[in-house]
Amino acid sequence: MASSHDADTAGITRRKSLAAIAGAGALGLAGCTQSSDGGDGSDGGDGDDEISGPINIAGSSTVFPLMSAVMEDFAEEYPGVDPDISSTGSGGGFSNFFCTGDTDFNNASRPIQPEEEELCADNGVEYIELIAATDALTVVVNPDADFVDSLTTDELAQIWKSDPAQTWDEVRDEFPNEEINRFGAADTSGTYDYFIEAILEEEGHTSDYQATEQDNTIAQGVAGDPYAIGYFGFAYYFQNPDQLKALGIDDGDGPVKPSLETASSGEYTPLSRPLFTYPSIESLGEEHIAEFARYFVEQTTNEDLVAGDVGYVPATEETQEEQMQKLEDAIEQAQG
Amino acid sequence: MATENPNADGFGEVSRVRGIAFEYLSFGASVFGLVALGVLLVYVAIDAFDLANASPEWLLTYFLTLVVPFIVFCLYSANDRDVTRRALVALGGGLVAVAVLFSAIEALLVPIPRLNWQLAYLFVVAAPVTAYLAYVGSGGRVGAVGFGLLGRLVGGAALGLAVGTLFLVFDSLVWFLAYTLGVLPAVGLYAFGRVRESPRARTAATPVGLVGLTAAVFLRDVIATYPSDLIIYLWTIAVPVAAAGALLVADRRGRVAAAAVGGVPLAAATAGGFLAAGAGLPAPTVLLAIALTGVPTAVYVSRVVDGGEGLAGLGLPLLLAAGAIAGALIVEALGVPAPNPWLDASFLSEAPSRTPSEAGLYPAIVGSVIIIAMVAVLSFALGVGTSVFLEEYTPGTGPLGTLTRILQVNIANLAAVPSVVYGLLGLGLFANLLGLGIGTAVTAALTLSLLILPITIISAQEAIRSVPDDLRRGSDAMGATRWQTTKNVVLPEAMPGILTGTILALGRAIGETAPLIMIGAATTVFRAPDSLFSRFSAMPMQIYTWAGFPQADFRYGVVAAGVITLLIILVGMNGTAILLRNRAERGS
Repeated sequence: MASSHDADTAGITRRKSLAAIAGAGALGLAGCTQSSDGGDGSDGGDGDDEISGPINIAGSSTVFPLMSAVMEDFAEEYPGVDPDISSTGSGGGFSNFFCTGDTDFNNASRPIQPEEEELCADNGVEYIELIAATDALTVVVNPDADFVDSLTTDELAQIWKSDPAQTWDEVRDEFPNEEINRFGAADTSGTYDYFIEAILEEEGHTSDYQATEQDNTIAQGVAGDPYAIGYFGFAYYFQNPDQLKALGIDDGDGPVKPSLETASSGEYTPLSRPLFTYPSIESLGEEHIAEFARYFVEQTTNEDLVAGDVGYVPATEETQEEQMQKLEDAIEQAQG
Repeated sequence: MATENPNADGFGEVSRVRGIAFEYLSFGASVFGLVALGVLLVYVAIDAFDLANASPEWLLTYFLTLVVPFIVFCLYSANDRDVTRRALVALGGGLVAVAVLFSAIEALLVPIPRLNWQLAYLFVVAAPVTAYLAYVGSGGRVGAVGFGLLGRLVGGAALGLAVGTLFLVFDSLVWFLAYTLGVLPAVGLYAFGRVRESPRARTAATPVGLVGLTAAVFLRDVIATYPSDLIIYLWTIAVPVAAAGALLVADRRGRVAAAAVGGVPLAAATAGGFLAAGAGLPAPTVLLAIALTGVPTAVYVSRVVDGGEGLAGLGLPLLLAAGAIAGALIVEALGVPAPNPWLDASFLSEAPSRTPSEAGLYPAIVGSVIIIAMVAVLSFALGVGTSVFLEEYTPGTGPLGTLTRILQVNIANLAAVPSVVYGLLGLGLFANLLGLGIGTAVTAALTLSLLILPITIISAQEAIRSVPDDLRRGSDAMGATRWQTTKNVVLPEAMPGILTGTILALGRAIGETAPLIMIGAATTVFRAPDSLFSRFSAMPMQIYTWAGFPQADFRYGVVAAGVITLLIILVGMNGTAILLRNRAERGS
């Protein structure tokens, strides 16, 4: 049996502790309220100089690494902004998302095409074209393929035209009599369109090849076959220079190997190509999207990011100024 | 055939060749499949945890501090001389065998990439032996207690994290009102009705709850000030869970124990929550994890102490924690180079990045968990509803019966439609026509639910069909209505089978990429979704993207870490479902 003394102390302690808990609770509650718009206001987002909102981007898988790198830095700098990006291929992005008004930007590794312009116009989507960077489309063979170091544009066309050479010795007599195995970009890809435009023109692209959107698949295919040939954007080769051999391209002035230098100096023709992003003018009316577009154009000359991290050729100061002017005009038009 | 030879005397002879051949063929088939899967998993694990760079000293340290004590614990629990002898022979003999065999293959045939014999020993011998011993050990009382406690700790923490993740998206303010105005009064009335045996109070519970829920939705924007999220979770989840735990214990062990079982975890959770808020951690999630871990653990400990058997098992978590800490200290003190795993805390809590070492999966994990939670609810409700109707309510004969059979065939065919087609359906129907938005979580959840619906329907139908007709007739003979028969007899009997089908289907849904691409789900997002209508990315999307990145570190390390994360979440999800199923099986 507990003594009455014990019971008394226990009672007092209990009462005291109850009071203490209630007091602490009241204090706690007073400091722990929020308003009905949710959130504790820690991240802000409603402040005057804080911009916030979603940014939706789709399009080319070639521009994807560049754009997502810029987005990563932008998202870190502006905690209120919620950017997302999908890698859909240039054409897929235009026809499924951008020209139906569902995305704010569309990346493309070739200029917008007439039927896409028409679709955008039908849906009342206006846009401007911004140059994001320059890419050197790279033709690769197996590192063990000692017989070939460079190809002329005509030889390249023979390999990839719609009625292509079947064996290497059909392309050049000293090449071995072995079958050519082709790995290339799928027809939803801007890389495919650009390759046709630069090399094949009206001859058309062969359908006798392994088509894919993934550079990795092309690289694996070529790396596993001494008589294979493939092409893709420069970034993959830049990050894995030992895995594959890049061919020099002879456009009449002797073979030129792809590199950041030859692409920016304009020697690497005809396969160096501009990469684009298309912001919708209506979206630029929103402050956070306009700010992102400005940020992106600023970053196009950032060598560490564009060349070092991603592997494309940064824009020149001159190009950047032009793009910025174009962008500011569009923003002014949108924001009135 | 020998058996059919009419001229043979007696029983004749049966050739056993075919039987033996069949046995070995099926053995070979299973070995081939399992070995291939095993090799894949081993390499993924090696890449994800950077084990190829783990020094033998590092492996040895953790083997001695973590694995050996665990094995000893299992052997102690099994308390079987025979098992101990066999385990020691397997571990010792395996060491020699693997070392010799591995060196021989490397020297004579081909070098084995990214493996050494120490790792091979861990994967080929140590892991299976440990798993076997854990199984044997769990048969003993001590082992059962240890694993039970460990399971509650891990499961509670996982549940807390999952609930915390769901609240990132679902409006906690609505939940606060709904709980306070709807759930609490309804449960209170029901409990009052049970205790005082007042049927009126019990029947009033449902309408009161519904009125409260409706009121919550309407009052959401009317009320201006709410308690902070931390208080909301404390009030709506931690307190009720603690109270439920206390009630469970109160009957047997009295008030003091009940107060301790409810109060101690609650206090710990509250303190943890406020400390986390001070330290800048996600306080509500910390609170939920501690509360949902602490209360079941406390109830379990109280029950074990009450039973008085296998108390030593309660030391297992301590043993493992001490082993991990001791290993870390030794590695630190001796300066042993430790591997640098891709799958670490920052991988799970950071956004994707262009630098492999900084890349994280957090937004995609949240996206996947939210989608899968919605898919589970939707496909279970739709699947069970459809199958019950098709099995129990449609006539088997006549024109309607024919119609049902045509429907059945079509459902079976739908299961074989490529997932891209469901993606297109989702894009057209949910995203564009119903205006739920391109690439939103709600569109994805609906699309994936449709994708797995045929599988859930077919398996639920099979489960319902396997309930013996005698049970239904018996129920009918007692005068039960069809609704009562379905509710009280058919569904409880069929539930384990229905759950098995749903588990398999959900496993497919969580790994799908193609339909997500079609509905425009983002490849990469940098923030976790904060509403059902925000754009999201899912784990398979992000993993697929990484696999295409030019840097080799992405294609090996980061992708492997993503795959392991996906697998762990899948195992967690399936584990929950299997626990539910086992409970349903025991219940029936």
